[in-house]
Amino acid sequence: MGKAALTRDHLPDAAALDSRLQALLLHHEIESFNARYAQALDEQRLADWTDMFTEDALYVVLSRENFDRGLPVGLIYCESKRMIHDRAFALMETSMFAPRYLRHIIGNQIVLSAESNGTVKSRANYVVLQVLLDRPDATLHQVGVYYDVFRRVGGTLKLAERRCVYDNLLVPNALCIPV
Amino acid sequence: MAWQRIASLSEIAVDAVLGVDVDGSRVALYRLANEVFATAGICTHAMALLSDGFVEDGNIECPLHQSQFDIRSGKALCAPATEDLRTYAVKLDGDEILIDMEQQAEFTQAIPKPMPDRQAARPVTDTQTISATNSDPELALMKRYVWPTEGLTRIPDWVYTDQTIYEREVEKIFHGRTWNYVALECEVPNPGDFIRSNVGPTPVVVVRAADCSINVFENRCSHRAAEFCRELSGNTKEFVCPYHQWSYDLHGNLAGIPFRRGVNGKGGMPADFNAAQHGLRRLNVTSHRGVVFASYVQDMEPLQDYLGPEVLKEFEATFDGRKPRLLGYYRHTLPGNWKLYHENLKDPYHATLLHTFLVTFGLLVAGNRSLMLADATGRHGVMASAKSERKSISSDAKKEMRAYRDGMTLAEPRFMDFIEEFDSPWSVTMATIWPNLIIQREMNTLGVRQIVPTGPHEFIMKWTMFGFEGDDDEMTRHRLRQGNLMGPAGFLGLEDNEAIKFVQDGMRHVPGRQHLVKLDPAVAAGTSDSLISEASIRAMYRHWRAEMGL
Ligand code: FES
Ligand SMILES: [Fe+2]
Repeated sequence: MGKAALTRDHLPDAAALDSRLQALLLHHEIESFNARYAQALDEQRLADWTDMFTEDALYVVLSRENFDRGLPVGLIYCESKRMIHDRAFALMETSMFAPRYLRHIIGNQIVLSAESNGTVKSRANYVVLQVLLDRPDATLHQVGVYYDVFRRVGGTLKLAERRCVYDNLLVPNALCIPV
Repeated sequence: MAWQRIASLSEIAVDAVLGVDVDGSRVALYRLANEVFATAGICTHAMALLSDGFVEDGNIECPLHQSQFDIRSGKALCAPATEDLRTYAVKLDGDEILIDMEQQAEFTQAIPKPMPDRQAARPVTDTQTISATNSDPELALMKRYVWPTEGLTRIPDWVYTDQTIYEREVEKIFHGRTWNYVALECEVPNPGDFIRSNVGPTPVVVVRAADCSINVFENRCSHRAAEFCRELSGNTKEFVCPYHQWSYDLHGNLAGIPFRRGVNGKGGMPADFNAAQHGLRRLNVTSHRGVVFASYVQDMEPLQDYLGPEVLKEFEATFDGRKPRLLGYYRHTLPGNWKLYHENLKDPYHATLLHTFLVTFGLLVAGNRSLMLADATGRHGVMASAKSERKSISSDAKKEMRAYRDGMTLAEPRFMDFIEEFDSPWSVTMATIWPNLIIQREMNTLGVRQIVPTGPHEFIMKWTMFGFEGDDDEMTRHRLRQGNLMGPAGFLGLEDNEAIKFVQDGMRHVPGRQHLVKLDPAVAAGTSDSLISEASIRAMYRHWRAEMGL
């Protein structure tokens, strides 16, 4: 009993504990979201990838050069989940590109803001490694930053915005699978 | 000493010429009545095959520029060739023709050699008498760069894979008599605005000076060659080389040299150093409808003449007088020869076959109204097509294209809408402007693509996407949405990049062969109204060979 009282003295008050736990949970939730996101792309399950966005989602892949200068052109420019769906469908059903293995690695997640309505702004670094079947090396296909806005749909976290801003301005040949 | 059989008499008609390869050298074999002669197989002027030429009165006439040579002595008889052909000794053994690559023809050896050892008798300084199979670099060159005898329907791999050919292209084409795209004016709207660009592989700076003129000069310091401008774009009053602070004004003039007169009366530049002679290397510049071109040749013809009337018309259909507005860039490398990109856009055949996206959704089919235009020189082209209504696709065309699927629709079809804005019968045009520009008008998504070659096996492509001043927000977003078709992640663009890489892979892994470009024999080389045509590719190579002297 006395021991418990002693421990309690060293704990923060309940409200602070609660908010820190919540932040931790949110951070963990985004981290596992990104792990699932990376896995869907690595395994080229683009229908599952599509489902990680809200109906009105914005998904853009653009160069650091364009982003810094306020130029809107993106390698991929989707203004809705319908366009994301078309992208996924076209890549899976119609596009011709050499077979490849990809690893999307996401790290350094930071939650920038979390509003009471469930909207979360965050960012993370990403790296995409690509292996072509006739080369021994995995090449650094893309390196950049995700600028994200998450929203909850039916309690589940979904991407309302993901801007993938890549630093390697010279894209190696072609970007076939999204980032 | 080395007589070898190379042909039989029955293979050559009287007064005819036959090309044969001997020890890797090209040899032309002639039959005049019952005498047989042999000379080097390649004209001493440009690199044409004499076996494609004409035998008349004991002379051979080159098929390319009509130089003539005496078949017996190899003597050059009429311009443009001035250098004689090397001759080889030949003799008959029954029906067999034998050649000795180390001996010249009898005619030139009328005086019998006193010494049995011909090696010793040979004047070693005379390159004509050095063995054709080894040390003479000219002959080594001839051996490798021989165009296939079939003519323009074949393209040999060395056109795309050879370092020497690539270097010659930089000299003869990119630094030669061409207008090279370097910028859009809207990228440098104000005095002091600059961008880095390239002419061929050569880095240049494009800058607007205080007098509003646009200047283009090499990005290479005239002191120790430093590539001084490192920013992709910016605004400046002068360029200062970071290495020793030499400074240049916006016209490229050398304006300042630190410690020019030395320190304490010691060191410094020679007294007679003339800064006016040490500016940056400036290029000739022209601009039309907001598109800026540069040339290493100072007396270039006007851009309008360079393009020719038909290509100029298409250029002006896209750059229709509205002011372009910069929307952003794509940049990518492509592991293929730079000419393959031109060929991809002079190859309407691939459009419905590679790009199944278009076909799956009924957006383009082989029966669409289309044109593959080549200018009179063959160097420029425009691939044009008109969007058709889905219902008008014939069942024949559908059968041809495996990808066509009735009833397949996009979830967001409006991204493929074509908003009429141009005075043109075409909804899509791809203009290939020799040597480094593609003007893309893919319905409403507009861009210029600049080819920057970096070697025979790779180039960089810089896409500058634009709209027009006066576009409202929705129009800009429509252009951006439609941009999903193009660029290195575009539904069509990524496929072209992959296909071009595959072509280069094929040549690298199975080298030394030829491409086949035979489609549409009704048009030898030039404009065709059929999509199933390679006539524009042939026209481009007719021009390329002339420019390269090959
Ligand atoms: S290299 Fe440019 S100043 Fe010396
Ligand atoms: Fe294409």
